[in-house]
Amino acid sequence: MKRYFTATWALTRAYLIRFFRDKTAMFFTFLFPLLFLFVFGSLYSNNNGDVSFKVAVLNESSSAFAKEFDGQLRDSETFDVNTEITQFDDARERMGRGEIDSIIELPEGFGIANPAQQPAGSVNVYYSEASPQSGQTIAAVMQGVLDGINKELGQPEPPLTVTQKSTATTNLTTFDYVFAGLIGFSILSLGIFGLANQMPAEKKTGSFRRLRASPIRKSQLIFANMIYYLLVGLISVALMYVVAMLVFNFDMRGNWFDLAVYIVLGIITMFGFGLAIGGWARNENQSAALTNIVAFPLMFLSGVFFPRFLMPEWLQGITGFLPLTPIIDGLRMIMTEAKTLLDLGPELALIGVWLVVIYAIAIKIFRWE
Amino acid sequence: MKNIITVKKLEKRYGNKTTVNGISFEVKRGEVFGILGPNGAGKTTTLEMIEALRPIDGGEVKLDGIDVKASPDEVKKIIGIQLQSTAFFDKLTLREQLQLFDGLYDESTDPDTLLEYVQLTDKAKSYVEQLSGGQKQRFSIAAALVNKPKVLFLDEPTTGLDPQARRNLWDLIENIKKQGITVVLTTHYMDEAELLCDRIAIMDNGEIIIIDTPKNLIKELIKRGFKKPQHVEQANLEDVFIDLTGKGLRE
Repeated sequence: MKRYFTATWALTRAYLIRFFRDKTAMFFTFLFPLLFLFVFGSLYSNNNGDVSFKVAVLNESSSAFAKEFDGQLRDSETFDVNTEITQFDDARERMGRGEIDSIIELPEGFGIANPAQQPAGSVNVYYSEASPQSGQTIAAVMQGVLDGINKELGQPEPPLTVTQKSTATTNLTTFDYVFAGLIGFSILSLGIFGLANQMPAEKKTGSFRRLRASPIRKSQLIFANMIYYLLVGLISVALMYVVAMLVFNFDMRGNWFDLAVYIVLGIITMFGFGLAIGGWARNENQSAALTNIVAFPLMFLSGVFFPRFLMPEWLQGITGFLPLTPIIDGLRMIMTEAKTLLDLGPELALIGVWLVVIYAIAIKIFRWE
Repeated sequence: MKNIITVKKLEKRYGNKTTVNGISFEVKRGEVFGILGPNGAGKTTTLEMIEALRPIDGGEVKLDGIDVKASPDEVKKIIGIQLQSTAFFDKLTLREQLQLFDGLYDESTDPDTLLEYVQLTDKAKSYVEQLSGGQKQRFSIAAALVNKPKVLFLDEPTTGLDPQARRNLWDLIENIKKQGITVVLTTHYMDEAELLCDRIAIMDNGEIIIIDTPKNLIKELIKRGFKKPQHVEQANLEDVFIDLTGKGLRE
């Protein structure tokens, strides 16, 4: 047992020494993701809203007046009503992600005639804590609309009012959303591109052959590489967080420990894909083709560069099962919704399944030369 | 046990092509054993099967009593291998490479002692890619000695070296033999085989044609009436070259 780890660590150490002497590798591992971060970060850090407000309208009232009012809101040009949303929880979650600015609720009993035989009640305007301005603006606009109706009704005590409520979910800046995707991209490229290039190259130069002349096992070679990639990957990701916080005011809401555990899991999963490709390929031509086939769909369908909720429903269903999707979703939920590992059961389960599958395949198809 | 390696009916097939065709031989403890033969004769394949680097398709190899097919890892612990196309990691100094091999075998052989043994002390901080051909081969042997092997395998150790570097490597191999390590080598150079090997096997088309000491093989040939066109030479061109350039290593 001791011999097993002595040999594994000796190899890890050799890989690390070589890595820190290789300026090209260092550039692509550490600086390249940061460059990406600067490009995308600057694109998304100015979060200018549109002129029209994106809202969800939830009509809980059965009165005819409420129905009429709901219809008018949906036709209005001031409000861009998201018609998909029918549940309050769903609406609140989407507001948290920044998909909508506010939720307009017509509560139960809204619009039912008061003793003066006129429709009465209060409209609830929910806004997120992070942007009280948009909540206030919407409430003011809404009050204006209701005042017009009130005037027509000619009552001394206005029967229709607006109540502002906070949902206590803080909403995301676009950067926060993009950042989780960039971390995912960095983990993906390190694991898949890095290893899938490195292993066939080592087969070609013969250093694998030389290692194999010693009593080293396949599992030791894999562990040594995994520890090496994990350490390098953690440094790279840590650098991204530092830049995100210093330059782009990234706001971490979750627990750092949970995040670290999750990132480690993510790196190990993506490492498995690189291992399967690099371990199988005899040369770089084979691995380059395979890398593209595997990496590009992940890159574009797992929510790295644009959010999955923009995809059609059926595609969201399929892409939800891709290995990178639960990694990015989980990162995003920890970082922006302060979710803990315990909340991420489905994501962790999906990652677990992928881990088992990809490592079983990778170990089976690994070739020394 | 007099024989350290026994090979019985060893076979290697690729599809329907037989590269090694049921060969049998023994290597005695402490000797230098040479395998000679033209390219494609099956020398390297034979070596790699004995070294547990290539699956054995048929027959049996025992090395110091260990069945190679059954316990390849046990065999690898007691042998040292210098591969024909030796490649070490780049961007790693010679000392670091030897430390790596120390770790792989869980040994604590001092890298500097080994480097001194193969006259590479002043290259301890160089990378392998900065070494000359002869230095590379010497380093390769140093790396193969990390685990204090009982048998050292050398696959064409002097191919491509200049005369000085060849002589230097011969001295090193003689030296290793003196330490009681059995050496198995392949070569294309007959002078090298004659000088270094206690016994040689000549292979062709996957079969061993003959095994004997170089002296006996020559004697047998003469007995059969072989005659070389005689012209007595007091020296040859290599003697001239060495005389003019000296035996000192250039690297």
